[in-house]
Amino acid sequence: MGRRLCAAGALLLLGLLVVLPLLRLISAVAAGGTVGLAAAFDGPDLAALINTGWTALAVTVLAVTAGAGTALLTERRRPPGRRWLRVAIIGPLLVPNYVAAIAWQRAYGRAGLTDQLLGLTLPGLEGPAGIVLVMAVGAVPLSYLIIAGGLTAAAEPDRERAARVSGARPLRAAAGITLPLLRPALVAAAVLSFASAASAFGVPQVLGSPAGFSTLATRIYRDLNFATDEAAFARVLVAACVLLVLALLAATAADASLGRGRDRPGGPAEPGSGAGSAWALLPVAFALLLLVGLPLLALVLEAVTRAAGLPPTPANWTLANFAAALQGNAFRALLNSLLLAALAASLSVAMGAVVVVTGGRAARAVGAAVTASFAIAGSALAVAVLLVYGEWLRDTLALILIAYLAKFWALGHRPLAGAADRLPADVFRAARASGAGPIDMLVSVVAPLFRPVLAAAWLLVFVTAVHEVTMSSLLYGPGSETLAVVVLNLQQLGDPTVTSALGVILTLLLALPAAALLGLRPARSAL
Amino acid sequence: MSALQCLALTVERGSTEVLRGIDLELAPGEVVGLLGVSGSGKSTLLGTIAGFVRPKAGEVWLQGRMVSSPRRSVAPERRALGVVFQGTALWPHMTAGETVAYPLRRQGVDRSRARAAALELLDKLGVGALSERRPAELSGGEQQRVAVARAFARGAAVHLLDEPTAHLDAAHRRRLLDVLAEIRAASGAAVLHATHDVEEAMSMADRLAVLRAGRIIQAGPPAEVYAQPTDVEVARLTGPASVLIAEVEAVGQGCAEVAIGSRRVPVAVGGAFTGRRAHLLVRPEWAQLGGQLPGTVRRAWYRGAHTDYRLATEGGEVEVRQPGPPVARAGENVTWRLDRAWPLPNGAD
Repeated sequence: MGRRLCAAGALLLLGLLVVLPLLRLISAVAAGGTVGLAAAFDGPDLAALINTGWTALAVTVLAVTAGAGTALLTERRRPPGRRWLRVAIIGPLLVPNYVAAIAWQRAYGRAGLTDQLLGLTLPGLEGPAGIVLVMAVGAVPLSYLIIAGGLTAAAEPDRERAARVSGARPLRAAAGITLPLLRPALVAAAVLSFASAASAFGVPQVLGSPAGFSTLATRIYRDLNFATDEAAFARVLVAACVLLVLALLAATAADASLGRGRDRPGGPAEPGSGAGSAWALLPVAFALLLLVGLPLLALVLEAVTRAAGLPPTPANWTLANFAAALQGNAFRALLNSLLLAALAASLSVAMGAVVVVTGGRAARAVGAAVTASFAIAGSALAVAVLLVYGEWLRDTLALILIAYLAKFWALGHRPLAGAADRLPADVFRAARASGAGPIDMLVSVVAPLFRPVLAAAWLLVFVTAVHEVTMSSLLYGPGSETLAVVVLNLQQLGDPTVTSALGVILTLLLALPAAALLGLRPARSAL
Repeated sequence: MSALQCLALTVERGSTEVLRGIDLELAPGEVVGLLGVSGSGKSTLLGTIAGFVRPKAGEVWLQGRMVSSPRRSVAPERRALGVVFQGTALWPHMTAGETVAYPLRRQGVDRSRARAAALELLDKLGVGALSERRPAELSGGEQQRVAVARAFARGAAVHLLDEPTAHLDAAHRRRLLDVLAEIRAASGAAVLHATHDVEEAMSMADRLAVLRAGRIIQAGPPAEVYAQPTDVEVARLTGPASVLIAEVEAVGQGCAEVAIGSRRVPVAVGGAFTGRRAHLLVRPEWAQLGGQLPGTVRRAWYRGAHTDYRLATEGGEVEVRQPGPPVARAGENVTWRLDRAWPLPNGAD
């Protein structure tokens, strides 16, 4: 009985949150007919599509290469201080992408830190090169996590060793054995990198708009928020549809590539041969410093400097920017962000639990649909949600919440489903056989087993929701701004020092609790 | 020239020594069983010989060539070894045929010849019909045979087997050991066979080396290790064992008079011993029911071919083996006889 109810609930939610909006989007585009399509695809929009495609591809190549390299380093070479290296590689996840973009401007842009100190600026930072670089740096942590997971699960060291004792040189063994075994992880990392880069909005907005470089996501933003002509909305719909198709293409490619039989995990991996060399750490540490450390330092320095353009020396330090940052609508936006993120996290995890409890084939089908909806570009999803619910909920937090739930359901569901898959069913049967009733079992066995994973899933959604800017920038109205939207608007119009201060606040908001958590337990993500 | 030689091999993991001063030598064609509980260092020793782990001290020599020392390490692919890994370590993306052909291809054998040789080897192991299947489509026993075929494909003079039957049930285990013995004999290779299973070690090996906490505590022919273990742990590791603490008096070569409770009985004892009080190892088949010593049956285990009785005696608890089904129940008073015993050299308190 309970399962039926859960299944019905999950299907209803899926319909309301994902299927209905997407159908509405597609039908709206179809209603426009081929004329609308043609009109939408002259000149600038075609350029935006091409820009989206090639920057996403470039980001994918860079992120997967760097992720694989660092994963091989930490999981195979076993350098000293491996645990802290992992934390350092994953850490940038806690910096929102657009804040990272602003930080790069402050570090390497005109009048940035290196400009002031050394007279050096990074050419092309504002433009496609900078967009690709910053997005790639942001995509490395997830790609690293996925590939490192693949290395420990499928590519257990004994399989490489078997190749070596069979007479294969190290490179041969890597190409013939390790790489094919890693393929699922590499494909997953590539799809995730591509999907998130293709739908990325924050970074192209910050670094692309000064250079007049647009992607589909920034076009949608501009057309929806600023354009006044009638054709603009038609363009938005078509662009949203194209993003949808891009996501589907990526997902299909992944599906085709991963369709082959899954591997049964091997025995426990014997620890590798002693401690690796510390020298391998140098390039990684250097890259982390240059790509993450210095930009964040520049951001913090500007946040505490009295006025833009002053050298960031202690004489010019002040905390006034932080006070200024939280004045006006920023404070309300901060509360909005926290409320939205907490609601989205709690509801996504609850909805994920509903799917897991449903069990069986229905759960697998809904789970697949939920995962696929995560791949849909935020812009497309936001436009679709706006089409269905905009009439009643315009300018409310509820509108943003609906889009968040549609997008982040997967983040609430995946960790729970993974944990449920790994637990043998006998664990629960044993509880019942020991005399525990259903409620008793829930309290004494299920809850303790799932508590860490529930917490991890909740945090994952919370962090992602606080960072989120693509959907909220399209759906917000007066009174329903999120902190991310305020940062973005300030970045374009406001005082740079106050923007930096707000960026620091936004980062610390998540980095501090996360650092505390990371300090407590090994840096293994729930993903 | 020995096939394999470990000289004072010491390996550290972190700051703990997992192998300490291992000396081990395999003659060409010799099969040595490496017996030890899990965690005793078997896998580490094999890994060090194969070149996956670098020693802290000592050397490994393969066929007269030094391959491992703290300073020098020959790459695994240049050591000419065959290795069967504990978890099979098959490659999920390769068919059985491709897997077994892999080592041959690395030796420069051309594709068709390698495939033909692989097929022949798989045939010999009874899985020739499965050469187009991937590991996921093979049973545990079949997977292990493919792993064995891969190891032997290289025609190496030395093979390392790491718990090759660990994940198999009894019937598959016996069959795998049969084909292993056959293919080993045909190849004439020396084998270091690590296992925690004493029957497997004894039946396969010319010589046993017992590993405990990273040290070889006893080495010798299986029958010798079985009959004359150095201490009670080796005794228990190598088979069922009871230990009597008794007064012993030598009366001649290999013969002694043992006091059990109030009675003195003549018993055959292997080797020499000193001191009057001894820890006497008794294997179940060294004692029998019927005789002059009194005892009470605590429990009887019927094992098909024979029955084991645990007796409470004046000298302590003793296990006694008798052919046929049980003839006495728990609680029954019986008499028994001690034919043979081994005073444990390291049995003193």
